[in-house]
Amino acid sequence: MLAAFADPVFDSQRNFRELLQAMARPMQPRELPLLPPSPAPIAPAAMAVLLTLCDTTTAVWLQQPNEEAAQHLRFHTGTRLVEKPAEADFALISEPASMPPLEAFAHGDMRYPDRSASLIVQVAGFRTDAGARFTGPGIRDSAQLSIDGLPQRFWQQRAAMAALLPLGIDVYFVSANHVAALPRTTRTLES
Amino acid sequence: MYVAVKGGEQAIARSLELLAEARRGDTAVPELELAQIRQQLRLGVARVMQEGSLYDEELAALAIRQAAGDMLEAIFLLRAYRTTLPRFGYTEALDTTAMRVRRRVSGTFKDVPGGQVLGPTYDYTQRLLEFGPTIPATVVEAEEPLAASMPRVLDLLDAEALIERIDAGSDPEPIDLTREPLMFPADRATRMQNLARGDEGFLLGMAYSTQRGYAESHPFAGEIRMGEVDVLVCPEELGFAIEIGSITLTECQMINQFHGGNGLPPQFTRGYGLSMGESERKAMSMALVDRSLRCDELGETSYAPAQNQEFVLSHSDSVEASGFVQHLKLPHYVDFQAELSLLRTLSAQHARTANTPIAEPVVKEHAVATEQAFDQRLSVEAQS
Amino acid sequence: MTPSYNFAFLDENTKRMLRRALLKAVAIPGYQVPFGSREMPLPYGWGTGGIQVTAALLGPDDVLKVIDQGADDTTNAVNIRRFFSRVAGVATTERTSEASVIQTRHRIPETSLREDQILVFQVPEPEPLRTLEPREAETRTLHALADYGLMHVKLYEDIAQYGHIATSYDYPVLVDGRFLTSPSPIPKFDNPKLDHSPALMLFGAGREKRLYAIPPYTKVESLAFDDHPFEIQQWEETCALCGSGKSYLDEVVVDDQGTRMFVCSDTDYCGQRQAEMPS
Repeated sequence: MLAAFADPVFDSQRNFRELLQAMARPMQPRELPLLPPSPAPIAPAAMAVLLTLCDTTTAVWLQQPNEEAAQHLRFHTGTRLVEKPAEADFALISEPASMPPLEAFAHGDMRYPDRSASLIVQVAGFRTDAGARFTGPGIRDSAQLSIDGLPQRFWQQRAAMAALLPLGIDVYFVSANHVAALPRTTRTLES
Repeated sequence: MYVAVKGGEQAIARSLELLAEARRGDTAVPELELAQIRQQLRLGVARVMQEGSLYDEELAALAIRQAAGDMLEAIFLLRAYRTTLPRFGYTEALDTTAMRVRRRVSGTFKDVPGGQVLGPTYDYTQRLLEFGPTIPATVVEAEEPLAASMPRVLDLLDAEALIERIDAGSDPEPIDLTREPLMFPADRATRMQNLARGDEGFLLGMAYSTQRGYAESHPFAGEIRMGEVDVLVCPEELGFAIEIGSITLTECQMINQFHGGNGLPPQFTRGYGLSMGESERKAMSMALVDRSLRCDELGETSYAPAQNQEFVLSHSDSVEASGFVQHLKLPHYVDFQAELSLLRTLSAQHARTANTPIAEPVVKEHAVATEQAFDQRLSVEAQS
Repeated sequence: MTPSYNFAFLDENTKRMLRRALLKAVAIPGYQVPFGSREMPLPYGWGTGGIQVTAALLGPDDVLKVIDQGADDTTNAVNIRRFFSRVAGVATTERTSEASVIQTRHRIPETSLREDQILVFQVPEPEPLRTLEPREAETRTLHALADYGLMHVKLYEDIAQYGHIATSYDYPVLVDGRFLTSPSPIPKFDNPKLDHSPALMLFGAGREKRLYAIPPYTKVESLAFDDHPFEIQQWEETCALCGSGKSYLDEVVVDDQGTRMFVCSDTDYCGQRQAEMPS
């Protein structure tokens, strides 16, 4: 079996601080400082997020589950793997082209909008000099980001879900050693 | 020239020295040993374990000594230590029917199978201060041992179907209130966890209020029992339960009148209290408050403080209450300054307009209107 | 550093629980996320929420500043700083500009914060509606409906009765146009610093078991009316020590005759200004 973080206490702490800043400053990619080994199809950056945030009290849904990945996650985090996207606290999307619709995941209830899924989506790459412009909390003026390998319907489904705010789904996109977050409050600017 | 006060660090260091000196007192007097506290102040130890949510007599004794006998401080010390302990697992549900009883009384039947057993109690001591040295106790052995089996008194009523049935397996898995926040409405298992950790004085007052007409539920002490109960855990790798020790518990089952409602027939209902060590006052108070908090489930009118779960559960915890009441001694001069300047403004204005009438306050009426609108919206939500 | 406790006192499961809650808090600005608040070795009401947030953040590279009433040397601030240098061994500072994490009670530093800093507030009562509606089940619903009429009427009633809004601290704000939020008991003087702050701001209420956040560059409005705009405290005096006319001032009684003087509440800001003054 592969190892996890070399130093669980400090590696989680350093990755968490980047995730926190990523969520606080949406669509602005940040570097994850410590990437653990990971079994396919889980990318090391996605594994870093899972190791940092998941334990026996969380439910994780894998889009492409396999025995090795499941065993690795259970062993290192003790997390519960679930069959249905709607039951997941965290969902790992390893093939965005065939991901389930966003409506399939928990988006909270009106009194507790935090009871919603966080998606970790493995994408092909980020470009900060192209793509759509975004605005919202955490973004000074606007941020530009192009995400490679994300189907267009993701944006359509997300736009539809905006009507439900403050309900919604929060997303971490990971590519190589970078993470960019897309909380529910971020708005796409008309180009 | 004014110089801002500095030296908080040194002040704290000196204060700690003074505290250590005051706590120890005259060093010519021997320091209390933990065994003395465990043995001779066992009821204090029980309370600290119960409200500290940690069954460990040695640590409770240590906390009492460190807190110089301030029970709430000792409970706080134990709780703060408990937070850091790793969680290995959860025990099986305790079986109090199998308790090795040392005390057992019922207020509802003159005699019950297994008998009434007074055991060690302050109830009949006449409360005369005993001047002079404590005389070593001599205990006369009973001619017959206590009955090996002591059925619970309420199970006898259950056979006659006069008391509500509660299926032991029907409860959902309880949440762990020390790991998850309290949410409202709280189910009975959650409420009981809160009451079990709740301050004995607070629960006593709440329970007392139910006897004085604030949510009267005509209680009878069906059974109070105290003794040792085995603790079992079922490790996943073994697949069967093993005993890891035994603990002293006090259990109280109240029987309460109920005229029927919410689709239920007239019958006796139950209030339940359970507490670590010998702690009858706590267990009885808990049972009364448990019952009064069941008002919604039983379709009873809720009007009294002891029936209001947000009121009871949000204010029962002595560590929370003590911290927040006493935080008022922390500096608040920034906010006080803000209030001072506001008051000066208002006061100057009052002097200018002393003879002109002040507009009527409107908030009360609006609050009522808002509440009505709110209820309507909720019912719309519920229907949709 | 005390070896028998984990780094920063809390166990890793607790930190993960806090971190998950903090991320949701940032994702839903101003919304109060319930969390499994732990019993800390400091009393409830003395900063247990802020301490748990700080413990979930801190790493060995951090530099921590703790203030109470704007001052680094008040006893509770000293005690919390002492706690973290004992259980986490982190570097501490009194300089706002040197800190990576600042835990505060009742003030926001006068020195502008930067993007690489995080401000952690200690919060006694996270629910801005609580004094108007004590029941949690009901205030949750009011937030769900974004129905803040109760608060508007309370402020309106103040104006009708006193000619002013009679709230001078813990002045309610609307975050990102959605959630009514308590800024914690900071004087309303500090409210404008919440709006579009470069630094992330996290709020911890330990006793009430709630966390919330105001992300950087987020719109934060103090409630007001068109004919009664929001105003902050002003003094005719300036600081007697550094001469500042822009900072929040504490009033100090200096003799038996009740003579007053005014000094900066932010001791670091005041000290820096004094150090720069020509002697």
